[in-house]
Amino acid sequence: MAGFFGALLGVGGGVFIVPVMVLMFHLPMRVAVAASIVSVIATSNAGGSSYVEQRITNLKLGMFLEIATTIGALTGSVLAIYLQQWLMLIIFAAMLAYMSYASFTTRNLDDQKIAADEFAKAKQDWLSRYLELRGSYHDLAANRDVEYIVNGSAIGTAISYLAGLASGLLGVGGGVLKVSAMNRYMNVPMKVAVGTSKLMIGVTAAVSSILFFLAGLIHFPVVAPVALGTTIGASIGTMVMNRLHSSVLKWIFTALMAYLTYGMLAKAVAIRFGVHLPSLGE
Amino acid sequence: MTVAEHSKNKPTASTEENVYVDVYRVLLAGMLISSALFAIALVRALLHQETYLLTLEWVRSHYHWAATWQGLKEFDAFTLMMVATALLILTPVLRVVISIWAFWVDRDYKYVVVTSTVLAVIGLSVVLAHFGVK
Repeated sequence: MAGFFGALLGVGGGVFIVPVMVLMFHLPMRVAVAASIVSVIATSNAGGSSYVEQRITNLKLGMFLEIATTIGALTGSVLAIYLQQWLMLIIFAAMLAYMSYASFTTRNLDDQKIAADEFAKAKQDWLSRYLELRGSYHDLAANRDVEYIVNGSAIGTAISYLAGLASGLLGVGGGVLKVSAMNRYMNVPMKVAVGTSKLMIGVTAAVSSILFFLAGLIHFPVVAPVALGTTIGASIGTMVMNRLHSSVLKWIFTALMAYLTYGMLAKAVAIRFGVHLPSLGE
Repeated sequence: MTVAEHSKNKPTASTEENVYVDVYRVLLAGMLISSALFAIALVRALLHQETYLLTLEWVRSHYHWAATWQGLKEFDAFTLMMVATALLILTPVLRVVISIWAFWVDRDYKYVVVTSTVLAVIGLSVVLAHFGVK
């Protein structure tokens, strides 16, 4: 299920995996987190390969934004030593809450823009033009080719940096912020944002996983079934995603972001005030 | 999705096709090989009713080329899982390396720089974290 929803929404799915492993299988938190990060790569490989094959992923856009996310993840890991985690959780929760609200209010916008061919009419900024950031994909739900021109590269880069920062600092939230950045600020259709994010999250997760691996913190017998399950789920998810209308994806995306927001706030309250609100996983 | 439907989704420049094909092949190979190894390892572990201590020291004791090679020859379930995990983890990094190559072949030097920067940051992150700066 984590692989399926991860592929559908362009996110890692760790938010689903960790609670299940901790609550149902009574695994220690650090074992669950390490296995979850490796499984994010499994979903990224499976989902990413399918979206690349379907030409939904925009490789150039992904490569460009990966600079910001990898630098963000690196600085996030360093800043984690100095910053108050509860404060960071509240800041990112506020950001996610806004993105969730924005996703809900624009839930029908993608379908309308596809119908009016508006993704192809945007005015491109100089950097997006220089980097030739544009593309097209075939939308199965709308049954038409959708051309789009990427713009807003500055704000998209900034939010992608914050997405990397969230991954390095808090271990969660990277995927949703990347999808939001591309779809809301860069004139990228929701499905392209999902496909491109799906590819990108593999790189960020790979860095963390290499470190876990070298430290001997990955318990392979735990990883094996989780990676296999998420790979199968992601493969099914990629077959379904392009057949759904963008509005449906945005409904599910809004719900996921709302859940993530609550989870972050609950964790912040637990760290700062010692009050444990009902929450999955911790 | 059918082959005909795939052909409708073209990247904007024809030269990009090489990058798409190369990245697709790397990701697919990484996924298939690691999944196959995980599946074989799980079947073997279930058949032999193997249990693992899972202490840090015990896991690290397997981090030797000779032990890994021996384990692979014997189809040892734990070694197969370890190698599968390593392949899985390295796939996205290999994807970045292959992209640099594909952009170079296409003479798309702007993206050789972009993708090399990503690889450099990945390398820097691993080196800094591994040597204790983190």
